[in-house]
Amino acid sequence: MGQGGGLLQENILGFGRLLRRSGLSVDTSRIALATQAAGLVGLSHRQDFKDALEAVLVSREQDRQLYSDCFELYFRTPEFAGRLKAAMPPPAAGQSVPPPMRRSSPPAMVQPPTPGVSLKTFSKIAAAMGWGSGERLRQADFSSLQNWELRQVERMARQIPMTVPQMPSRRTRGGGRSGRLDWRRCLREANRSDGEWIRLFYRRRRSKPLPLLLLVDVSGSMERYARVLLTFLHKATDKVPRQIYCFGSHLSDLNEAFAQSDTDEMLRQANQLIKDYAGGTRMAKSIASLRDEHRARLVGGRTLVLLVSDGLDMGYAEPIAKELDWLVRHSRRLIWLNPLLRYEHYEPLSTGGQLLSEKAHAALPIHNLLHLENLAKGLEEALQAGR
Amino acid sequence: MVLNSAEAVLDGLAAVGYQADRRLATATFLALSLQRPLLLEGEPGVGKTELAKALSKLLGRPLIRLQCYDGLELRDALYEWNHAAQLLHMRAAQDRATVEQIEREVYQERFLIRRPLLQALEAPLPGAILLIDEVDRADEPFEAFLLEYLGEYQVTIPELGCQTAKAPPVTILTTNRTRDLHDAVKRRCLYHWLDFPERERELAILRAALPHAAEALTEQVARFVGRLRSEPFSQVLSRKPGVAESLEWAKALVAMDAVNIDPELVTATAGVLFKHREDMAAIEPLLGKLLLPEAA
Repeated sequence: MGQGGGLLQENILGFGRLLRRSGLSVDTSRIALATQAAGLVGLSHRQDFKDALEAVLVSREQDRQLYSDCFELYFRTPEFAGRLKAAMPPPAAGQSVPPPMRRSSPPAMVQPPTPGVSLKTFSKIAAAMGWGSGERLRQADFSSLQNWELRQVERMARQIPMTVPQMPSRRTRGGGRSGRLDWRRCLREANRSDGEWIRLFYRRRRSKPLPLLLLVDVSGSMERYARVLLTFLHKATDKVPRQIYCFGSHLSDLNEAFAQSDTDEMLRQANQLIKDYAGGTRMAKSIASLRDEHRARLVGGRTLVLLVSDGLDMGYAEPIAKELDWLVRHSRRLIWLNPLLRYEHYEPLSTGGQLLSEKAHAALPIHNLLHLENLAKGLEEALQAGR
Repeated sequence: MVLNSAEAVLDGLAAVGYQADRRLATATFLALSLQRPLLLEGEPGVGKTELAKALSKLLGRPLIRLQCYDGLELRDALYEWNHAAQLLHMRAAQDRATVEQIEREVYQERFLIRRPLLQALEAPLPGAILLIDEVDRADEPFEAFLLEYLGEYQVTIPELGCQTAKAPPVTILTTNRTRDLHDAVKRRCLYHWLDFPERERELAILRAALPHAAEALTEQVARFVGRLRSEPFSQVLSRKPGVAESLEWAKALVAMDAVNIDPELVTATAGVLFKHREDMAAIEPLLGKLLLPEAA
């Protein structure tokens, strides 16, 4: 086969590695077998070549679509294959592990995606290639993104840290220059100087994060935001005591799902638990069931309540006002995270929106990644400001 | 017969009455050339078992079939000693032979009952077609054994020694996807998902099986069954009718001298097409839509 054979092998190797990065389990022996198969079938018919590789590299029906999309992307778009090779150089002679993938800038053919390739595959490949990361996505409103970009944003949201506001706790720790004396340490140090107290040591109060209560609206109007917010909150509030519920037409307890360490697993469980995704909103009813069933989880008056909603509630003002009053009474602060603040001159017009802007201690925007990054700062400021 | 391309396999299969699509022909060609087992997955009734039969006819090799089921053991799949015959022999020989002699004679090949997997190994050149049907119904220990078997095509019978295949059989495994097979088994095989045929291929299958049936009738049958398998009708069915069912139905209609398919005829022959009473009941109100002529 000579030169041509070497090129074919290289291409199939590159394709196999793309499949592997996209989630198919393809090992070296399969790639070798695929090269043999390609040699037997020949390259004259494209479909035969595709079918031959599929028979070797795919072993489940559910992977067939992914394989087909990757094939179209790899073999139909020469620039893609070229960029892939540049980004994923094969290991040099003597090196057993391939060098890490170089991040490439998004190529021109990214928008719109290649026809015939499913969005799910495209976003997987885009993530593997490192496209779409950057300033533009950080500042783009979630509702303005294409589906595959939204997936990218979800991935980036997982990495945003958030320091939850702290409050002084009753426990103390060593340190400080005034206040309570640290008797033990004073005596210990005095021992060194024959019982003379040369220097005084103090204790100061520890801080601990405020317990969080997260209420996320998963109704139809919040569809794009809810998923990204859940992903963000899962990782960002990992280390603090938190309770998470989502509501639409009724309340769903997501605490078990959030106990999972893997975010994809959490989303999968959440999807199963939330029966009223993209339905209507009944905020009053949901808060009422929170009060009836989960009241014990609100920790006195220390809880910081983050209510993620656009306020487009379908219900009467009175019950909503009553429930919100109760919530405000039993929490330290009620912070309204509102995606509609993306509109510059936003004025709440709906019943829910008006009541929330009246009763909540602060309203913060969360419609892009930049605002999520600044959320911690916003929460601190809200806490400092009295009411 | 020399099959040196997917095209040749396609034509060969058509010649013995099996209408395959090009993708299946490619997979089969590769399985034959690379000498790897072929794993066929698909809904019941799409023609997985038929492919093995057709290959056997095409290549002129015997078909050895192993039907898997839950609880299948090696003694049913590989070999078993004919204990009854051994006991009789021991009884008969106890006066004329010594104990050592009897023990030696008891484990002779004539007392060995060969089951399909061993038969496949011992088939004379050029080898056999081994069909392991519904391998998903067997359990995991059997899968583990199969992995070893498919890798080496040799087994060790403790009393007789190592039996290696004279010619490795062409192995076809079929599964209805009731459970996922172990990755190791799948890696050993080439994989092919067999889908329901599209209209043209179904027509070709019907014409090949029923050459004397009226063209109009076979077209109606293909259209009706094709619609049944598509949305929204497939949602009311617990099981989509396969190629086997559509063939049987066409034969039934030909036997009844039918010319045009109407709701009464469908109801009368529903037992052929549907295997569940609920499906028959669910389809009845939709018969009008299903039997609409093709839009011009």
